[in-house]
Amino acid sequence: MQQRKQLTFAFMDPPFESERTVSFFRLLDAALDKNADVCVFAYEGAAALAFAKQAQHGNAVHGHDLQQEDHPLTKTWIKALQDKASFKGLRFEWVNCGLCVDERGVNESIDDCQRGGPSDFWTFAENAFNSLTIGTR
Amino acid sequence: MSDYVFLQSQDPFTETQTLAQYQLIHNLATKDNRVTLYLIQNGVMPARRGALCKPFDLLCNQNINVVADRFSLAQRGIELDQLKSGINAEEIGVVIDAMLRGDKVIWN
Repeated sequence: MQQRKQLTFAFMDPPFESERTVSFFRLLDAALDKNADVCVFAYEGAAALAFAKQAQHGNAVHGHDLQQEDHPLTKTWIKALQDKASFKGLRFEWVNCGLCVDERGVNESIDDCQRGGPSDFWTFAENAFNSLTIGTR
Repeated sequence: MSDYVFLQSQDPFTETQTLAQYQLIHNLATKDNRVTLYLIQNGVMPARRGALCKPFDLLCNQNINVVADRFSLAQRGIELDQLKSGINAEEIGVVIDAMLRGDKVIWN
């Protein structure tokens, strides 16, 4: 039986700002498709990706109410990845930089997202088969 | 010799540092490394036939595997038959395959 490999990702972009966020989540989803264990360190603005108080909204310009707009939320994407990993029996760990969430007032994360610091990224990377860091610029 | 995969999200028409990134990729390939250039987001823009960017075309004519992200192409309405010769389209899973092989994967 092939041994599972751990991949580590570090990400810095806040939600709802950059196309990199979509690419990042696509990479995480693809990693689970390939049966990799996934560890994420969310640094700087990315610490808000798992913020539990994110809320959908309507869009008057589109003429859509809340349900019609169905605005995507990153916290929902993280939960979907957690569920996918759980279903496949894979590890999916998400650690937010504690200092970063404090700065932004986004300490209330969805379940199973941890509070940590850069040393967690070091540990994730040290134990990973491979790592990818996606910086802002 | 090493295996490199560059996720190229920046395009040369709006980001001047892209040319320095292309130069690094060119240099690594000339030093006998195996290099894949995975074009993603606006990084796919110079891949269109008719897009004028000599430094990008130089990479395409080198021993570099140039691949475009299908999703990014579709978002921008770029059809596969509009790509420059030698550029293939792939799903993003090929990047994960490279990571699981142990390639050095770098985000630009």
